Amino acid sequence: MISLILRRLMQLPLILLVIYTLTLTLAWAIPGSPLDKPEGRQPPPEVREAMLRQYDLHSFPRFYFSYLSNALGVRYVSDSISGRAREREEKARAAGQAPPRRFVFDLGPSLQYEDWRVNDIVAASLPVSVSLGIVAVVLATLIGVGAGVVGAARPGSILDLATLSVALVGVSLPSFVVGTALLVVFPVWLGVGTVGGWGTVGKMVLPAITLALPLAAYIARLTRMGMVEHLRADFIRTARAKGASEASVLLRHALKPAFLPVLSFLGPACAMAMTGSFVVEKVFSVPGMGQHFVNAVLNKDLFLIIGVVLIYASMLVLLNLAVDVLYRWIDPRTE
Amino acid sequence: MARLLAPIVALILGLALILASDRPLPKADFTFVNHGDVSTLDLQKMSWLQDLRIGRILFEGLVRNDMLGERGTIKPAVAERWELSADHRTYTFHLRANAEWSNGEPVRAGDFIFAWRRALLPDTASDYAAQFQLIQGGREFFDWRSRRLDEFKPGDDAAGLWRQTQAKFTEMVGLSAPDDRTLIVTLRRPVPYFLDLCANAVFFPVYPPLVSQYDTVDPTTGRITSRSGWTRAETIVCDGPFTLASWRFKRDMRFVRNPHYWDPGRINFDSMNCLCIEDISAQVMAFRSGGIDFLTDVSAPYRPDLLEGRLQFDREHQRQIDEMRAQGLDQTTIERLLPPDPNHRDTVHAFHTFGTYFYSFNCLPRLLDGRENPFADPRVRRAFAMAVDKQRITDQVRRLGEHPSATLIPQGSIPGYHSPNGLRHDPVAARDLLAAAGYPGGRGLPTIQILYTRDAGHEFIAQSIKKDWEETLGASVQLAQREIKVFRNDVRSGNYMVSRGSWYGDYGDPTTFLDINRTGDGNNDRKYSSKQFDDLMAASDAETDPARRMAILEDAERIIVEQDLPILPIFRYVQLYMYDPHRLTGITSDPRQEQEVQELDLLGDGKGADKPHERPARPPGGGA
Repeated sequence: MISLILRRLMQLPLILLVIYTLTLTLAWAIPGSPLDKPEGRQPPPEVREAMLRQYDLHSFPRFYFSYLSNALGVRYVSDSISGRAREREEKARAAGQAPPRRFVFDLGPSLQYEDWRVNDIVAASLPVSVSLGIVAVVLATLIGVGAGVVGAARPGSILDLATLSVALVGVSLPSFVVGTALLVVFPVWLGVGTVGGWGTVGKMVLPAITLALPLAAYIARLTRMGMVEHLRADFIRTARAKGASEASVLLRHALKPAFLPVLSFLGPACAMAMTGSFVVEKVFSVPGMGQHFVNAVLNKDLFLIIGVVLIYASMLVLLNLAVDVLYRWIDPRTE
Repeated sequence: MARLLAPIVALILGLALILASDRPLPKADFTFVNHGDVSTLDLQKMSWLQDLRIGRILFEGLVRNDMLGERGTIKPAVAERWELSADHRTYTFHLRANAEWSNGEPVRAGDFIFAWRRALLPDTASDYAAQFQLIQGGREFFDWRSRRLDEFKPGDDAAGLWRQTQAKFTEMVGLSAPDDRTLIVTLRRPVPYFLDLCANAVFFPVYPPLVSQYDTVDPTTGRITSRSGWTRAETIVCDGPFTLASWRFKRDMRFVRNPHYWDPGRINFDSMNCLCIEDISAQVMAFRSGGIDFLTDVSAPYRPDLLEGRLQFDREHQRQIDEMRAQGLDQTTIERLLPPDPNHRDTVHAFHTFGTYFYSFNCLPRLLDGRENPFADPRVRRAFAMAVDKQRITDQVRRLGEHPSATLIPQGSIPGYHSPNGLRHDPVAARDLLAAAGYPGGRGLPTIQILYTRDAGHEFIAQSIKKDWEETLGASVQLAQREIKVFRNDVRSGNYMVSRGSWYGDYGDPTTFLDINRTGDGNNDRKYSSKQFDDLMAASDAETDPARRMAILEDAERIIVEQDLPILPIFRYVQLYMYDPHRLTGITSDPRQEQEVQELDLLGDGKGADKPHERPARPPGGGA
């Protein structure tokens, strides 16, 4: 197991380098200049030229390597060794001000939100996306497994049909429809909860349900399928013959093997819920990271595009690794 | 089974940890929604209306515009008084003794010079660099520094160049501070709207000991790189009515009363919250579900229906409204005096703004692909302009009660300025003119391409115009929708025939609109160049008599909207707000639409003046 973890972790930098190169090449090819404002007053041409140089945006190789050296911490180390960092610090102290912050792994400035470094943006928005994702996955598992068990207990019953049709709706309805409907019904019509904002558990419920619904539907179908299959198996007949109660048969004996496919789905599901929540974040004004993924591309905000892609890529790799490890731990037969 | 539950338990624990680290803030006295998150709080880099709005909450300049009093009034702010020399070129500002930064330090004359030097450095990339170049020597300094930076080679003495630049600035630019409380500004020429410029947040001071920490001299290019970060709540030092208590990216901004602000009586709240809700429909729903006192810039796709509700409510009270109008009452006062509407239709408010939606004609003799450009001929541009039925666009496409516009400068928006008439919708004259230009019935015209971007309903306007041009002029018109970045690129490089455009004025003078037509101006996307127009603009620069100057500018605009038509004005923008008129007071109906959020007041909240703002009554029919 340890060798698996080590091997995967060693692959990570290589994967990230390939992704960085691909992303930068593609993002560089987006037409237009990242410095253009969509409307209104434009900077004079000399000023534009100056900004292009300041960010190394006038030359692909320069940008490629300067970004790498900042993001890998090479710049941080060289500044520390050359004493440039200390010089700045002393100057700040002399003026009675806190010295500007430095990042070891500096993902650069955002070109659209000039006051923020990409590091700040990720630090502010990643926890939001992650917590929304976790709530959604937990909700989806509870709802999905519950519905799946209920359906599998009496296949073909009205209850089974009902859960199956709800699941079908959950999978087919896009989240901007579900989200907007929830917003109109609960805060606007019934006065329950508020629109927009983040920070309390109450504000999390509606976006999490919206995000959870398609996942729950998929999990319900997975659970039901697995349960129905395992309920026909010999070991269930044995359990029943030993006099185990119906609840014990369903939850202890049948659910356990039926849950394994659900577990392997949870890895990508977690990644999906934490990274793919763009629409939900937009509809509910959740200050998460998904929005930057799309907006940064539209704005050609190079630093933000690459930063967000690299973070997402690392998350996907690490989450998949976590699932593999868990899988072996829960079911030691898998190799 | 325990092993199965373990991952879920771990997830819930992780969630609890994250939630515990994220405490919600207590409720603020006042909550508003700005348009998205600001792109910067660095004053000298601002150019968006929503950024400038926040800039005025946190900072204060020499003077400010009085948006609630008589139109066009300038009030003292950090400067308690000022004198203008006899040649109208030198302002002497006297700073008040009790103007302080939020850390208790006095605001000094040198702080303004520091901020204005930033704006004049090509390194800062200020969009308003041209306005600062009205200061004596400003343009020469900008050019000198640009040249030096171009010549700079890696290995040259960057720190030395920066020292030289500072010395050069003091020597070249007409700014001086004989003492901490006196600022002398010498202008290149008389600028009648200079005080108005000083009321723009871009001209506000920043705190030099803080900001200079974030400026570093780049040894390889010699440039000053201005790093972000000083604008954050933990570090920012400001001199306005409020300070920044917290700023969570794309989430919210919390403002609290600045204890060092010299005029505490001007503010009515101890704390304000600015929520960031980017989704344009969710904004309206958030207002409807309560907790938001003021929603700026409503742009939901169904806003014509919102407005229709408002108009219906107004029609139900038409008699009362007419009576109050006859007394010369202001729109905001009338809306407050109407009875409350149980259906909340009275929470929607529409104001005419200082912005014009127009179409740009490419004026270059040849298109970028080498083809002959029919729009190089002013007669063709005039014919196409007269063929457009603007009334149909405002009535059937926009449906926001906007007025069709025949001028670039919104009519009646600038005191003392009388707009020219512009061209009327006249299909017959348009056809004749096109024939005279050599394209009878549209024969010989290439396919006309209209360039526009996807959202905000540009497409429907383009379709309406296409119909007019095809049916009236016999032209064949193609619609070209572009992604915003591609659009900007094409427009800037002149790679288009006709494109949508818009412009909002920055200050109360016609030049804020007319300057974009000067030859070589950075915002002259049309590449329009007319000696006659440029000469008039130059003459207005030299004219010191206000009335004669306005008359010259009228002639200049007449060239644009009646003779040459590089720009085809279509309508004047309307701004939609949502607020309860019986609770919120201090909203301005001024056509400039600079809402001073820091001066708003909630009636009956027990804080601040708690009495409705009354704008002086004006005789009916005066102005917009």
